[in-house]
Amino acid sequence: MAAVLPVGSDLSGAMNRFLKTILEKDIVDAVLMPMKVPSGDSFAWIIMSDSSIVDDAEAMAPVMPVQGARALRSLTRKGEGSIRVLALMRPCEIRAAIELSKLGQVKTENLILAAYDCPGAVPMDSFVSDPSSGEDLFRKMLAGEDVSAGEVKPSCTSCVEFSMTDADLHFGHFGLGGTEVLLIPGSPKGMEILEALELPADRETSIWDEAVRKRREKQVASRDAAFEETGENIRGVQGMLNVFADCISCRNCRAACPICYCRLCHFESETAKQDPNSRLDSAVTRGGISLPADRMLFHTGRMTHMSLSCVSCGQCSDACPADIPVAQVFSFVADRTQKAFEYSAGRNDGDPLPLRSFMKSELSGIHEMVSDAEPGGHAHE
Amino acid sequence: MNSIVMKQDASTAIRELLAYLLSSGRVDAVLTMRQVPETGSCDLGLITDPSGMVEAEPFLPVMTANAGQALSSISMSGKRIAAVLKPCELRGFTERVKREQGSFDNLLTISSICGGVFPLEKVISGDLEKLVPRYIEKTARAEAPRGLRETCKACEEFVPMNADISVSVTEHGSLMHLHSDRAEEYTEGFEGERIEARADQSHIDRMMKSRSAAKGKLFQSLEKSSGLDGLVDLFGKCVGCHGCSRVCPICYCQHCDFESINFDYNQPYFQESLEARGALRLPPDTILFQLGRLTHMSFSCVGCGMCSDVCPVSIPVAGIFKKTGERTAGLFDYVPGRDSEEPIPVMVFKEEELGDIG
Amino acid sequence: MISDKHDDFTPRITSFLCKWCSYTGADLAGTNRLQYPTSIIPIQVMCSSRVDPVFLIKAFLSGSDGVLMGGCHPGDCHYETGNYHTRRRFAILKEIFDSLGLESDRLKLSWISASEGPKFAQVSNEYTEQIRKMGKNPTRKSVFL
Repeated sequence: MAAVLPVGSDLSGAMNRFLKTILEKDIVDAVLMPMKVPSGDSFAWIIMSDSSIVDDAEAMAPVMPVQGARALRSLTRKGEGSIRVLALMRPCEIRAAIELSKLGQVKTENLILAAYDCPGAVPMDSFVSDPSSGEDLFRKMLAGEDVSAGEVKPSCTSCVEFSMTDADLHFGHFGLGGTEVLLIPGSPKGMEILEALELPADRETSIWDEAVRKRREKQVASRDAAFEETGENIRGVQGMLNVFADCISCRNCRAACPICYCRLCHFESETAKQDPNSRLDSAVTRGGISLPADRMLFHTGRMTHMSLSCVSCGQCSDACPADIPVAQVFSFVADRTQKAFEYSAGRNDGDPLPLRSFMKSELSGIHEMVSDAEPGGHAHE
Repeated sequence: MNSIVMKQDASTAIRELLAYLLSSGRVDAVLTMRQVPETGSCDLGLITDPSGMVEAEPFLPVMTANAGQALSSISMSGKRIAAVLKPCELRGFTERVKREQGSFDNLLTISSICGGVFPLEKVISGDLEKLVPRYIEKTARAEAPRGLRETCKACEEFVPMNADISVSVTEHGSLMHLHSDRAEEYTEGFEGERIEARADQSHIDRMMKSRSAAKGKLFQSLEKSSGLDGLVDLFGKCVGCHGCSRVCPICYCQHCDFESINFDYNQPYFQESLEARGALRLPPDTILFQLGRLTHMSFSCVGCGMCSDVCPVSIPVAGIFKKTGERTAGLFDYVPGRDSEEPIPVMVFKEEELGDIG
Repeated sequence: MISDKHDDFTPRITSFLCKWCSYTGADLAGTNRLQYPTSIIPIQVMCSSRVDPVFLIKAFLSGSDGVLMGGCHPGDCHYETGNYHTRRRFAILKEIFDSLGLESDRLKLSWISASEGPKFAQVSNEYTEQIRKMGKNPTRKSVFL
């Protein structure tokens, strides 16, 4: 059951006004929303306590320059405070925030997480080079019009978690013709907001449920096809090397990832640095090595560290200057690693992080999971 | 000075030199750009097997990583290395040596009068194949190829500083100039006609003319990004990935201050900020990072342009850093990378100087 | 964080003062009942060279209308050479501000010894007046910093 927000002609505007009202009524101290940057070709996360500033914000931004969970991380990482904040973000950002809360990086006590049905996002580089086309594209995506898959951020075409999450409040608008939006509470906190606004949660949601279900069917098919292709492309050592051949080790992928929260990444630390003589020895053994070194170690290592919490948001691909489909690869691997533990990243259902818990009896088939690996090193690694 | 005439194109000649250096045992390893023939993808290779030279493209107009940065750690191995570096990479390396992040002790540096490099996007798009032949043609005539990195177009430091061997390719021919005793020693026994010759000055002068003009235009175009509003306009879309710092040859700090706990704030900070100004960007300190990085390294900026290339939102970082860097270095008549014995301006002082400050 | 909310303008000047000279000089001004404005917000550091220019930038971007760096006279540093480095770093910071068109007059370096109470009062008064004429720092309002 849900409450209803009438929309008029402007879905985004209606959501803005709703958040402004919440702030004006002192239900929260601040709201966190995207706002267009002065140069007009991107958006930034702005936390606002002054309700008049909410007019300048945008409830649903066409691009995701900074993963919302990264913004939340900076706000609450060093501890709980007394500012009550409502953050309006994409479902993948909410899910990343939930993972970060399990990792102690986001404190949710005074945080209200709100999300909306996400039609996807525009890739950063195409938005920055032509913002008005980017805005047009996003408008079409929101309206449910057909757009060419090549224009949309690749991760979004494979996204199956575009709707309801474990956020406190969800704006459900798919399938409702753009005239109203459902306010679906996901938690007691969410219910409290509706009660404070005297909005009865008395509307049934079957039309919306159906629209979401249908879209999910299409997305699942798209994702499965993408996974099959990716799986083939990265097969074996050579496969991975091919996909990452253009990697320049800039680490933009790690910096953009909401889950990679380490201030000093293991792979930049002293522990990971090889002594120059050993490095030369490797060069002798293999006839030659690539510099900067340890590219594959970084990528596969990062996978082992974060794939269980990967929410397939696609920020890594968006940030990559070498156009490597990092997100496709990581998403594919994360799907498998998470399934191995029957864990779904981004859910608040009480499942502990798989690497923080164990059962005395489990994974008995582990020895069968290890298949033939290709031995030896490679000169272009 | 003693120079070796290159009968073939420069790349082939240097490939042969590098193979000779390896097979004769003069060096243990060679650092050079290389390109995988099947895929066209490029990387920096540290090669020990002379047969690996077949993939070497020493003058490929591409910079996947600043080779001066890549050379840092391995130059301290004690093993002998020959490294092909672009002039800015050599200067960047020199700046690192001053910071105890590298050593010239066992290093033979090979550089060239540099025609510039293409931005990464041209490499990724697969356009290199048709761009490179035109590049070679034009640069031999001291003409500027189109589509280079902004800072390459505007670079006046295209003649290598302190290389052991520098290569010049002009309409008068291709020459390997031997600048040091080490260069003479390592090339002893390498086949090639020796003549007394310098790089063609008129070629250098023509290049300088077009570079200076381009630099003027570049700096002019950055004028609008001044003042608080201009800066916020320029850096407003920065996402704080710090990729610029990571690929910078000068930024060597393993743990950057701006990524440390020093810049993680607790709630009272955010509460006060909101009380004071009503709204605040998250994560905070976007402009602080840019200005802070300028104070920490601008005087050593060698204008290589890796920063602009790696920026996910296409901010022209390199131009701003180069422009500001020339001003801060200029305060002390400092030229980054000019002389490995010249101390970094912030490490020294004169008792009498800057009298008008304070 | 310095607010933009009030119309009356008391300049806020974040001041980094070295313990051995300038901070003591400020103390002396106080004990001698020499008037100096409340605009000065003192922060004691052991030596002016402890101050990373980034602190000055942070103070500026946080909305300080002026930022004052106080140290011992060159040659008199308690740690012998600290303030020579301060001088160079400050020159670099000023140059960066000038190069980028930021108001570098909102940054000031002043050599004030422990016995120079009157000088501290004078510098504070004059600088406060200068800043008052410049007006509030626009960084007080800026959201996209």
